[in-house]
This record gives sequence, structure tokens and C-alpha cells, in this order.
Amino acid sequence: MARFWLALLIAVLPSLCFAHAFLNQAFPPVGGTVPTSPREIRLTFSEGVEPRFSGIEIAASDGRAVAIGPAACDPADNKQLVVALPPLAPGRYRVSWHVVSVDTHRTEGEYTFAVGP
Amino acid sequence: MSAATFDRRARLALATALTIFLPIEDASAHGFAGSRFFPATIVIDDPFVADELSLPTFSTQKTGTDPSVVQTDVSGELSKRITSDFGFSIGTAWTHLDQAGPPHNPNGFQNLEVTPRYQFLLNAPHEAVASVGVITEVGGTGAKRLGAAPFATYTPTLYFGKGAGDLPESLNWARPFAVTGIFGYAITSSKKVMSSVVDHDTGTISLAVDHFSNAINYGFAIEYSNFYLRANVHDFGLPEWVNRLTPLVEFSFVTPVTDRYGEKTIGTINPGFIWSGQSMQFGVEAIIPATKASGKNVGIIAQLHFYLDDIFPNSIGRPLIRD
Repeated sequence: MARFWLALLIAVLPSLCFAHAFLNQAFPPVGGTVPTSPREIRLTFSEGVEPRFSGIEIAASDGRAVAIGPAACDPADNKQLVVALPPLAPGRYRVSWHVVSVDTHRTEGEYTFAVGP
Repeated sequence: MSAATFDRRARLALATALTIFLPIEDASAHGFAGSRFFPATIVIDDPFVADELSLPTFSTQKTGTDPSVVQTDVSGELSKRITSDFGFSIGTAWTHLDQAGPPHNPNGFQNLEVTPRYQFLLNAPHEAVASVGVITEVGGTGAKRLGAAPFATYTPTLYFGKGAGDLPESLNWARPFAVTGIFGYAITSSKKVMSSVVDHDTGTISLAVDHFSNAINYGFAIEYSNFYLRANVHDFGLPEWVNRLTPLVEFSFVTPVTDRYGEKTIGTINPGFIWSGQSMQFGVEAIIPATKASGKNVGIIAQLHFYLDDIFPNSIGRPLIRD
């Protein structure tokens, strides 16, 4: 029985870095407020993501999409997906994201943040 | 060729290979519906068709007082997708009864359970999922001394799950909530079983008749996802292990369709939590009797659960037949 558990552990351990990508951290923060327009959206995931199959969209509170370029991985860390932002007027914004982790699993999510006091 | 050029070509080749050879996994794998991650619940089955392994599930509870009986179960279940929406699960349990007897302290396996299952709904925007299956208890595969039925029981079952993420932002506090549930009708292939009983004191043999009626199996789980709270509602900066917790309460009941032979509704309420890692989860819950016929003593159930689609994404963790 002990050999079975050891074999199972050996099978599982190498896989700990290959799984669905969960959003671990975001800037602007999830549900938070930033005092001035942020220069970028930076999402940090639990796994490396494949930028060719991942994306970020942002819309104002009236539903109008904010024009932004394609998202890219931080060259130093493929767990971070980044997109530059144009100046944002004070108000609430909704960020929608979808990513494909490096082992091809897809996840998605959305959150809101506010700009201004 | 410079190292930089080689690196660029290698990355391009890798990206191309990824595009051609690795199809993107459906988001429904092991509990995703849109932004919502549903962990695998312990007492009732979750609504997803997935590649997963529950091993072991351990439970112990004092089920009788006079005479005293403590039941301990160690069970396992393997679920395997045939297509992305259709799969099978197979499982059984090893049981030990700590009792004076007779029989004295028996143990052995319960009947095998096989469940074909089809997931017919996955609505990402509304975080909704539903499936149907037929839980088949294979009669005669378990130990008679534990009372394993010698006949089959078929339970057509509806499974469902719904996240509250589509609530308005004014109800942000409630958006991490989700509910999953099951509703099944258990049909026994035999309504009574006759057996001979030997009185060890007098040596006389008598005939015992056990009656089995069809029953309604139902249950639901109410869960609060700290994952969802952190990623979709508000990041409070909680420690990572807290963000990975899902507090939940499961309710599970069996109601006989007749009470001709004195059958009563039995059920349990199971408060606890599930911690979800990247490729496995661990859960523990209390077992609290919910009806008078369910006993008086509180037990405990714990489970280790592996997401095979994450652990073996290119072999046994993917459907046998790709869509």
C-alpha cells in the first residue's frame, strides 16, 4: 500500500506547475479604486499563460469598450499578462480576461475597478 | 546561427506546435463554468463530467447506541470522460463495523457502483451546469455480512450547479455563493430478500424477509468560493491558503416512496470546507444526522481528490474521443 501512495505522489508532484490558471493578483486591484488613471492592466496567474490564446478587454460603466492593444506576457514572467491603457477618465471599469495556460487549459473571469477618489 | 536567433526559432516552433498539436481544453473540465470554479463536493456528486479520482474518502460515525456500532468507510471513485460531455465513474467502499455482533467486527467491500453520465448544459455567463446519469449499484458484488444487497439498484439522477455571479453588483457580497444539487429516483430490481437465520442459542432456523422500496435520493450543497471573491469581486489581500478555501454545507437525504414496512427518511447535514490546490483538493466535513431515523451521533468525513485532467493533460486526463 505504501508503494501505491509513493507512486501516486511521484505522479502528482511533477504536475503541480501544469494546471488551470487562476487569477492570483490584479492591478488595478479586483474591486479596488486607484487615484489616477493606471498605465496598464497587469494580471498575475497561478500558471504560465500562452499569450496567443489569451486576452484582456476593458469597458466603461456604460458598456463602451476602451480601445486597447493585444495583451502580452511579461518577458520576465509568463504568469503575468499585461496590456497598456490609454488615459482613463474617472469612473468604474470592467475588466474581462481569458487565458489558456501553458498546458492548454482555458479559464476566464471579470472584475471591476474604479478610477478617481 | 546566433543564440538569439535560435531562441526565436525555438519559441516560434513551440508556438506552432502548440497551435497544431495541443487542442485547447474545454473550460468545463473539472468544475469550471465561466468564471466559476466548483470544487468536487464530498457527500453529493458535483454536476460535471470530468477526469478525476477521489481516493481515499474516509468516514466514521457511531450509527447505533444499543448495541453500539461504529461504522468506518474507506472509499474511492474514478471518473473518466469518453467524450468531453459523456463519461463513466466507478467506485466502491470498504467498510468496517465495530460491533459486538454477530457477526463480530465484520469488514469487507460494499457493492460496486457504476455511473454513466452525460453533461447536457454548460452556460458560462450564468455559471450554470447540468448533467444526467444512472447510478447503478451492481448487486452481489459486495460482502453479504455487511448487508450489501444481492440485487441491483438503478438511480436515474439529475445533477445541477449554479453560481450567483450574475447577481447585480449591489449584491456583490452574495456573488461568491453557488449551489449544486442532485435529484434521483432509486429503483430496486428486487423488493424483498429472504434469508435463513440460525439462532445460535437454540439451533432453530427461521426465515427472515427484508423489504426494499424505491426511494428518492436528493441533496444539495451551498458553497462560498473564496477563489471567486478574490478574482471577481474584491481582493481583500487574504493569505493564499485562505483564498483557496471553499466553506460549504452539504445536505443529503433518502426518502422511501412508501412506508409500508416502516421505512423512514434518513439524511445528514454536512458543514465543512474544501481546500483546492492546482491539481488536487482536500475536504473535511462533519456528518450530522438530520432526521430521527438517521441516528444521534456526529461523525466525520474527509476526502482527497485529484484533478486528472490537470495531472495527466495529455493522457488519461483527456477524453478518449476528442470532439
